[in-house]
Amino acid sequence: MTSSELDRYRELLGADGVAEHAALELAGAEFELTLKPNDGAALAALLAQLAENGRRALVRGGGGRVESGNALRGADVLLATDRLTGVMEFEAAEGVCRVAAGTTLAELRSRVNAAGWEVPLDPPGARTTVGGAIAAAAIGPRALGHGPVRRAVLGLEVALASGERTRCGGRVVKNVTGFDMGKLYTGSFGALGVIESAWLRLRPLPRSRRCFEVRASDPEVALRAGLAASRRDSAAVAAVRLPVPNTGEAAVWVEFAGDARSVDRDADWLCGEWRAQVAPADLVDRVRELQAELPGDTGLRFRIAVVASRAPALHAELRAGGAETLGYPGLNVVYAGFRLPPGEPAAAASAAFACASRAAQAAGGDAICERAPVWAKAGREMFGDVAGRLGLFAKLKQGFDPQGVLNPGFFAGGL
Amino acid sequence: MSALVTALRSIVGDEACLSGPEELFVYECDGLTLHSGEPLAVVLPRSRDEVQQVVRSCREHGVAFVPRGAGTGLSGGALADGGVVIECSRMNRIVEVNAADRYAIVEPGVVNADLSKATASVGLFYAPDPSSQQVCTIGGNVAENSGGPHTLKYGTTTDHVLALELVLPSGEVVELGSTAGFAPGFDLVGAVVGSEGTLGIVTQATVKLVPLPERVETLLAIFPDVVAACRCVAEIIESGLVPAALEIMDRRTIAAVEASVYRAGLPTDAGAVLLVELDGPAVVLPDQVARIREIAARASASRVEVAQDDAERQRMWRARKGSFGAMGRLAPDLYVHDAVVPRSALPEVLAAVCAIGDRYGLKLSNVFHAGDGNLHPNISFDRRDADELARVVAAGAEILKVCVDAGGVITGEHGIGSEKRDFMGMVFSDDDLDAMRRLHDAFNPDGLCNPGKVFPTTRFCVESDPKARGYDRVPFDG
Repeated sequence: MTSSELDRYRELLGADGVAEHAALELAGAEFELTLKPNDGAALAALLAQLAENGRRALVRGGGGRVESGNALRGADVLLATDRLTGVMEFEAAEGVCRVAAGTTLAELRSRVNAAGWEVPLDPPGARTTVGGAIAAAAIGPRALGHGPVRRAVLGLEVALASGERTRCGGRVVKNVTGFDMGKLYTGSFGALGVIESAWLRLRPLPRSRRCFEVRASDPEVALRAGLAASRRDSAAVAAVRLPVPNTGEAAVWVEFAGDARSVDRDADWLCGEWRAQVAPADLVDRVRELQAELPGDTGLRFRIAVVASRAPALHAELRAGGAETLGYPGLNVVYAGFRLPPGEPAAAASAAFACASRAAQAAGGDAICERAPVWAKAGREMFGDVAGRLGLFAKLKQGFDPQGVLNPGFFAGGL
Repeated sequence: MSALVTALRSIVGDEACLSGPEELFVYECDGLTLHSGEPLAVVLPRSRDEVQQVVRSCREHGVAFVPRGAGTGLSGGALADGGVVIECSRMNRIVEVNAADRYAIVEPGVVNADLSKATASVGLFYAPDPSSQQVCTIGGNVAENSGGPHTLKYGTTTDHVLALELVLPSGEVVELGSTAGFAPGFDLVGAVVGSEGTLGIVTQATVKLVPLPERVETLLAIFPDVVAACRCVAEIIESGLVPAALEIMDRRTIAAVEASVYRAGLPTDAGAVLLVELDGPAVVLPDQVARIREIAARASASRVEVAQDDAERQRMWRARKGSFGAMGRLAPDLYVHDAVVPRSALPEVLAAVCAIGDRYGLKLSNVFHAGDGNLHPNISFDRRDADELARVVAAGAEILKVCVDAGGVITGEHGIGSEKRDFMGMVFSDDDLDAMRRLHDAFNPDGLCNPGKVFPTTRFCVESDPKARGYDRVPFDG
C-alpha cells in the first residue's frame, strides 16, 4: 500500500483511525492495516475511498464471528467498528434505543437495565457488538424468550459499499414504510453494507428469574423435558446438553422469567413433573459460554435448525457421528461440536461435515458451520445448502456491492 | 379479444378469466377507492403452475401483472391499470396443520380468520389479526405485512411467516426460508413480506401457530378526551406491561358505532374509550388488571369496565372491529389514514391531528392501535364534492407531516401502494430509496410485477398537488 494511500486514510479517519501492525491472519487472509472510522460520515467516506482504490475489506465488530463464514477470497484491510460507539438515544418511556454499531452489548445492557429494560440480544462473547450481533443474526440461549434478532431491530443506518449512507426503519415499533431492508441486512454478515447504528426494541426486565436443572439418563427423556419446558408461559431458556462430560447423563437447563406468579407456577410444574433441581443464578451465562466453546479448543461447530419433532433423531444421528450436542428445543436449534484429533484432523473434519450434512438432511433441516479452521473450509460451503436461492443472493450482492469490496467470498455461495 | 386474454383463457379456463367491462369494474380499485384503473383482465388461478404460466404469458406480451388477495388493501397496492390481475382467492387450501411443531402450510387465498378457526381445536391460532380478517387472505397479509389489534404483543405478519413459495417476476419458482426458521443466507422471507407484491407472487406460505392463551381479560376505560386516553397508553407502555391490545376510539367514532348495527353500549358522552386486552396465564392476570385500573385512574379515566364473560368481551370488540363499517353512516366515502408515531408522542400528535381536521372543516375521527403508536385518522367525506376532496387530500398530507416530524413514519400497516408513494421522500433520502430499488431490481428488474407501487414518481412537494398523487384520475360519478 502506498504512503499516499495511507495518508488519504489518515485524512479521512484521523491518525487514531489508521493502525499499521504486524501481519494478522483472519478468515484466510492476512492483514497489516486496520482502519477505524469513528462516525458514520467517516465510515461512508472510507468505503467510497476503498472502492475507488480497488481495495477489499474484512469488516469486524467484536471479532467473535470471524471463524464462521467461508474463507475470504483475499482482502486488503481490516475495517474495525470499535470506534463507532455510544448509546445515541435511549427512550426509557418507550423502551427503544439507538446505538452505534461498535457498542458492546455489555455496555448497552449496563445503560438500559438500570431503567428497567432488557436488551433482547444475548449471543456469546464478552466483546460482541450490537452491529456484529445484527450482522450475524447471532442468537444466545435467551432467544427463546426474546425472539430472533430480526424482531429486535426496528431500524438501521447502513453505509453501502459505494459510500452512500442509508437508513431503513426507524424508532417506531410498527412500520411498513417501504421495503423491510432491516430484515435483509440482519444476518447478511456485512455482505451488503456496514451497519453504522441501530434502533432496537427493548423488553421490560422480568420481575422474577429462576433457574433449574433436570438430569436424565435417557436422551429422549431429556429432549422431551426440554421441549415441554420451552413451551411454558414464562420459559426464557431451555437447553439440552447431550451428554454432560464425565457423567454420561443428559442435562436440561431451564430459566423461567417474567411475572413472579407465572414463574413460580412453572417452577412448581418443572420440579413436580420432571424432578428439577434449583440451579445457580449464573446458569444462563454458563449455557452461553458452552454454546460458544463447543466443542473445545479445536474443532468444528455446526448450527442445525430442525422442527421440534425431528430433534431427537437429529441428536441421535449427530451423537452417533461423534458429536457433542447442545439443543435449544423451543428455538428449533441444535449445536453440534466435533473435536478434531491432532493425528488426522482432515479426515475427522471430512467425517464431521458429512455427518452434519447427512443428519440435517435426514431431519429436513438446515446446517451451517459456525466454526472451523480455515484449512477445513477449502472446497466446502459453510452456509450449507443454499443452491435454490443462490441466484437471488448473487443478484443482491451484485446490486449492493458490485466491486466486491465487503468481505469478499465470506458469505453464502462464496459471495 | 386480445391475444393475451386468449392465452390466459387457455391457461385458467374461460370461467376463471374475466375481461368484460362489467366483470372488470369491481377490480378497478382495492379498499382505497380514491385510486382506480381498469385492468386488462383478471385471472383466478387454482395452482402454482397456473400462476407460473400466467406470469410467463404476461411477460411474453409485455403486460404488467398484479397479485391480489381479497382486495381489502387500503393503499392501492392491488391497482392494475391496464395490467392483468392475478387473484389468488381460489388457491385457498390449508395444506397442512402441524400441531406438534406449531406451523401450518397454506395457499395464499386462505382467509385469515379461517386459519385460526381450523386450528382452534388443537389449541393454536394464527396471531396476525387485521380488522378485515374475516375476508382478507394470508397472501395479501404477506404482501402488506399486515398487523391488527393484537400485534402489540404478538407482532405483525413478518414475525409469523417461516417460509414462502414464490413465483418470481421471471416466472421461475423459488422456495424461501425454512419451516424450522434460521434459513441460511439472506433473509429473503423477511425481504418479501411487506414488499407489496412487487417481488413476486406468493403461492404457498408456511406460518407459525401460537398457543391459545389460557385466559383473556378485556377492559374498557372511559376518558374525558382522546389525549387523556393517549396518556394512559404511554403510561402503560412505560410501566413494562405488555397487553395483547391497546385500542382507542374517540368521541366521533363512538357516536358512529352507537348509531349503527355494531352498537355496544359505549358511553356517547365520553371523549374516548380505551380497549385493553390482557392475555396469558390465569395466575398473573388479576394483578395486571389491577395495575391497568390504577394507571387508568391516574390518567383521568372516569371508570373502567372489565368484561365479565365472553359475550361481554365480544361486545366490546364488536364496537372496535365494526367501527370502520359504522363510519358509512357519516358520509358516502371514508379515507382510512395510517401513520405511526412514537407512543410517547401520541397525546401531542393526536391533538395536532384533530386540529388539522377542524381547520379543514372535515369529519375526522380516530380509531387506532394506540399501543403500537399506529394512528388511523379517518376522514368521512363525499368525493362528489370536489372542494371537500381537495381538503381531504391536503389534510392527509399535513397529518403525515405532523407524524413524521414527531419521529414517526407514514404507514404502519396499510403499506405505501400507489397512495403514498410520492410521500416516501418525507421519510427517506434518495440513497435510502436507491437501496430499496437495488432489492427490487434483484427480483423484478423490468418492473412488470406490480408496477407503480412503493417507489415515488416524483420527489418534491407533492403533498400540495393532488394531481401529483394520482387523484386527478379519481372517477367522479356524481
